[in-house]
Amino acid sequence: MDAQKVDMFILTNGKFFESHQLVQIRERLLQIDESKWVAIQTLQFKDPTTSLIVSLLGGSLGIDRFMIGDTGLGVGKLLTCGGLGIWAIIDWFLIMGDTREKNMAVLQQVLY
Amino acid sequence: MLLYKTRLYGYLLTACIAGYIWLYYNISQTSSGSHSIQVCPIKKTTSIPCPSCGSTRAVVALMKGEILESFYINPLGILVALIMLIIPFWILIDLTTKRKSLFDFYFQIETFLKKPKVAASLLLLVVINWIWNIAKGL
Repeated sequence: MDAQKVDMFILTNGKFFESHQLVQIRERLLQIDESKWVAIQTLQFKDPTTSLIVSLLGGSLGIDRFMIGDTGLGVGKLLTCGGLGIWAIIDWFLIMGDTREKNMAVLQQVLY
Repeated sequence: MLLYKTRLYGYLLTACIAGYIWLYYNISQTSSGSHSIQVCPIKKTTSIPCPSCGSTRAVVALMKGEILESFYINPLGILVALIMLIIPFWILIDLTTKRKSLFDFYFQIETFLKKPKVAASLLLLVVINWIWNIAKGL
């Protein structure tokens, strides 16, 4: 794919991924066919900052986990008052990274 | 955090062990007469009980054989007790027979729960339970 397009994608969507993944994403995007550009453009990524806000407010009900698509873990958090409050606090620090991992999984479905 | 088999089993086992330790601690606290500490962050900050407040009491009541009373305290407690009973055995069976039936089942349940109709009805149930909890003043 065109290097200019790839750089534009990295610029606009860089915040949705882990920094160490960006190099790999860039290389892979340069390799793949131009026809996938539309599919990549229309992908919906979840904002890590939003999930952090949700985690701070509704973390002990598991709403953050439901939001990023970890329904099973969300049910677990809901049933245990956010893991007796401990898991909810741990998730304040984990949820941003997990959101980025989920975004990477979404992108990988198109890339590979 | 994409879930892999060993990771998922690790989480589930840790959660179950933590649950049993919490249960043991709670029973030993209440039997010695002192009140057990409250850990629910929602109840601590807002003094309103959360949807799953009282599930420890429900599980304890269930262990004494009082099913109706446990249902009255919090129906979610019965669900928690079921999960805590089944999961360790399921993991043990999976590990000994080297299958991954629980892992597959987990993802089947996840996709089932993500269906809008199922999710909406379950959400309604949780909200009703929450209102009931507030009305009971747990």
